[in-house]
Amino acid sequence: MFRLTLRNLLHKKIRFAFTTGIVVIGVTFVVGVFALTDSIRSSFDDLASDIESGIDLTVRVPLQIGDELDRVRVPQEVADRVAAVPGVARVDGRIVARNTSVIDDNGEPIAPRGPPTLGSSWFPTQFFVVDGRPPDGPDEFAINSKAATAHDLVVGNTYDISGPNEQRSFRLVGIYNFGDPDKDKSLAASAVAFDTATAQEFLNGGEGFNEVSVAIEPGADRATVQQAVADVVGSEYEVVDQSAKIEETQADFGQFISIFGNVLLAFALIGVFVSAFIINNVFQIVLGQRVRELGLLRAIGATGRQVSRSVIGEAALVGFLSTVIGLVAGLGLARLLRIMLKSGGFALPDGPIGLRPRTVVFAVVVGMGVTLVSSILPALRARRISPMAALSDTAKLAKGSLATRARIGGLMVSIGAVLLGLGLFGGFDTKPLLFFISVGAIMVFIGTTVLSPVSASQVARHIGWPLQKVFGVPGKLARENAARSPRRTSSTAGALMIGLALVSMAGVVGQSIKETFAGTIDNSVRADYFIQSASGGFDPNVGFSAEVVDRLAALPELDLIVGYRFGLDSIDVNGSTKNVFTTDFAAGVSHMDPDVLSGSIADADPLGSILLHKDPARDLQVTVGDTLVVGFPDGEVEALTVAAIYADSTIYDNYVIDNAMWDRHFNRSELMFATATISGYSDSLPDDEKTALLASSAAAIEKVTDSYPTVTVENRVQFRETQQARLDSFLIVISVFLGLALFIALVGISITLALSVFERTREIGLLRAVGLTRRQLRRSVRWEAAIVSVFGALLGVALGLIFGIAAAIAIPDTAIKSVAIPWRNLVIYVIVAAVAGLIAAILPARRAAKMNILEAIATE
Amino acid sequence: MDSTSITMEATAARAVGATKVYGSGETRVCALDGVTAEFERGRFTAIMGPSGSGKSTLMHCLAGLDTLTEGRVFIGDTDLSTLSERKLTLLRRDKVGFVFQAFNLVPTLTAIENITLPMDLAGRDPDREWLDNVIDTVGLRDRLTHRPSELSGGQQQRVAVSRALASNPEIIFADEPTGNLDSTSGAEVLDFMRHAVDELGQTIVMVTHDPVAAAHADRAVFLVDGRIVDEMADPTAELVLDEMKLLSRR
Repeated sequence: MFRLTLRNLLHKKIRFAFTTGIVVIGVTFVVGVFALTDSIRSSFDDLASDIESGIDLTVRVPLQIGDELDRVRVPQEVADRVAAVPGVARVDGRIVARNTSVIDDNGEPIAPRGPPTLGSSWFPTQFFVVDGRPPDGPDEFAINSKAATAHDLVVGNTYDISGPNEQRSFRLVGIYNFGDPDKDKSLAASAVAFDTATAQEFLNGGEGFNEVSVAIEPGADRATVQQAVADVVGSEYEVVDQSAKIEETQADFGQFISIFGNVLLAFALIGVFVSAFIINNVFQIVLGQRVRELGLLRAIGATGRQVSRSVIGEAALVGFLSTVIGLVAGLGLARLLRIMLKSGGFALPDGPIGLRPRTVVFAVVVGMGVTLVSSILPALRARRISPMAALSDTAKLAKGSLATRARIGGLMVSIGAVLLGLGLFGGFDTKPLLFFISVGAIMVFIGTTVLSPVSASQVARHIGWPLQKVFGVPGKLARENAARSPRRTSSTAGALMIGLALVSMAGVVGQSIKETFAGTIDNSVRADYFIQSASGGFDPNVGFSAEVVDRLAALPELDLIVGYRFGLDSIDVNGSTKNVFTTDFAAGVSHMDPDVLSGSIADADPLGSILLHKDPARDLQVTVGDTLVVGFPDGEVEALTVAAIYADSTIYDNYVIDNAMWDRHFNRSELMFATATISGYSDSLPDDEKTALLASSAAAIEKVTDSYPTVTVENRVQFRETQQARLDSFLIVISVFLGLALFIALVGISITLALSVFERTREIGLLRAVGLTRRQLRRSVRWEAAIVSVFGALLGVALGLIFGIAAAIAIPDTAIKSVAIPWRNLVIYVIVAAVAGLIAAILPARRAAKMNILEAIATE
Repeated sequence: MDSTSITMEATAARAVGATKVYGSGETRVCALDGVTAEFERGRFTAIMGPSGSGKSTLMHCLAGLDTLTEGRVFIGDTDLSTLSERKLTLLRRDKVGFVFQAFNLVPTLTAIENITLPMDLAGRDPDREWLDNVIDTVGLRDRLTHRPSELSGGQQQRVAVSRALASNPEIIFADEPTGNLDSTSGAEVLDFMRHAVDELGQTIVMVTHDPVAAAHADRAVFLVDGRIVDEMADPTAELVLDEMKLLSRR
């Protein structure tokens, strides 16, 4: 029996290649994603070890919430005490800051996208000079060799460096390798170093260190020394050993890598899901074509079990082979993905790419699992094939009834719709709301999949109706062929449906975000200029020095400047960690109006108040005048009065404090962005005056910003455009990834169609004999594909609309206030699907047209 | 010259030195070996022969389904060897009718849609009067909107003959049209074909190895090893059977 299974596969080479190919695609993507994220992870793990190399103990102030850089500084005096502990070989006070960019000879700041632009004190144990010498003095710096090479920095030249507080000129005296004398292991970051005193003054604006690194004398007992150091520094400080610090750093990196990896994995799994649809379809069709052959096997004595075992065996072989090919191809894909992502601006490390046991396990689960699961139903049907099938001309596989399908599918869709409705309009809290919406969406989706064969014939006839009118018989044939086996049509279309549902959903959500943002800019933003970091946009880790703002504020052309900061997970409110946004209470409202519902922002006490969005105010059950206890990263806790509650959180987020309050509790001084108004400008002025004011203020601003290339200034129109363009490019990235699912779906259409054409060989021969021209035949196959594609696209777009609207309602007001639907894009998706279907049909159509009429007619 | 033009007009199809060779060297098979034959208009001709005699090949070449290695075939006065693949298809559509042994109908189309298929393919409106005539003759008016799967084998073959007739072609080729039918259904189909020749003035060439089927024809042509070895006017089943026995002993 096994030999027969094997023979079978080898005989139907094309069919075998098709099914294997589809599974290979799925496995390849999963393996590729795992291999790439593993490679990135191991590079970062190495980096974490490199960062801690030679550091046995770290002394620092504990941090409960907020950014690493918000730690309270360790004073020199503590470092001195540690140095005196017996067994301590060496003590280095460390200073580290972000947003420290060298401006190269072209006036461009060194600012890779993704990796940080670090500034630090000189670390003698980790920095290895390859050119020049270490920095020594208030106007000298050194830089890692990767950044120096990439930007042609020359030792001896003087460069401007934009730091977290100000911009200043320094002379480059040394280029160093990080972590290894022979190789710069700093991945893609740019890392500028100064001598300790300069770093303290330029980067931190004061005394003390972010942390103190301790090296223990060889031979000394680590635990003893650690305890001795802890005793000396007291409970105000914590003493962390090397392995704990490495783990901590790896976890920090890991968070970012996991997000990145999970996003990629989600797309890969979508790909697998789509291919499962197709594999299942192909197995069903192929089995349908083999009914007589299997009936013959039964007739000559094979048991039903042997027959179904042979079907599953065939699937297992396909799965095994696909897994092996997919593992190899996945490694190639990982490299390809890395190249693509790098050329898209992501700075990824070039670590070795390899297979981990977990990757192999996953590949087997996906490759073998998908094929075996897909083959179970067909195998059970095969078991029931009667020996009489061998003799019958019209033998067919038993199929479940469409009526049962209609009942089950209808029930699922109804329940899903009710759950969706409950979630959307039931007024629940966030958690049950998300539960209802997601479970409802999944049920609607599965229900639609179950239900779609019931309507496939009718819908396909409707879609095909214009074709018949325009193209006559070929159109009629296309229409009838698309309608003749509803299960096949709907599962072929189902693969396309998934991809389009996701694309449409992303489209609805994206459009809603875009319009919400545009609405905010139009309705509540009164500022005329927006000042942002040139590289980062709204990345919370990227900011610019307030110095620029001070320079701009001095311009007579500008009226008011307001700076804004953002702290991710940086304050504690009632025991949970929250983001915090800052502004100037006195002036901020006149630049950006958060739609105050009660209280007043302009009159609020900057050092005793907090502003809340209405949602957290509701959750916390506070109103204006109540007191909130807020914890800060420096360990301080303050009781703040709720000064105002507002409705628009698009820019302000949920919790707002004044910049003065930030300065009191946070070490970082960089601004996330700033806004400015033009002196004497008002929307009611005549147009020519407005133009003149815009022009003169723009010229004045440019004079200042010319020397600050790390900062960009945009007027309202430009700001709106760049923000929307940023969202657009994000949507494009999503579409490209989902394009993978569409690609698999199209391959599926192509395969299904090829099998259908093969199945209809005799019919095609007859049609050709009675006068169907090759062109008409090709046309009918192509239009059949178009009908199936449009069917899938319509289902997908409809589902995507429902899911998109549900998601848009579920997403907090911060991002989406009202649902917007990109109708034009949705129509384009359907047209694209039709065209793609036409393209997918090219090969099957050609195969059909090439058939020899006589052989076709003579086919059994 | 005169006699030629008369022949041309009276001839629906003819083969001149038709030769068809499959393969080469060791596996060379000569399916047709210089066959020359004429098929007159308004007549019912049976091509007889044992299996492997080349009778199907001859029909396929006459019908433009297959091409000759040497020689020429004509439908009316059109030389098929000069036609492109596309022209051949159009010729089949407009000038030739087909009835195969089985699987004659497109399963997704109804009986009437199958009947008018060649005209629909050409984008022509069928001649209503003629079509009515054909449908009346076949006697399936109440089954016209059925799909093939809802018709019996005999009914399916009659629909197939109707389709061949519907475009009022130059000539109809039938390849073992009763081969898959029981004798009653087969007789029905053969009667219908006979009727089409007598009443509707059609020209039919039928390939068969069944002497009973051949008895319905005006003329029987006998093929052995790719050559025409004999022919018989107004064949009867007995005469044909005797002839076949004789030929198989050669």
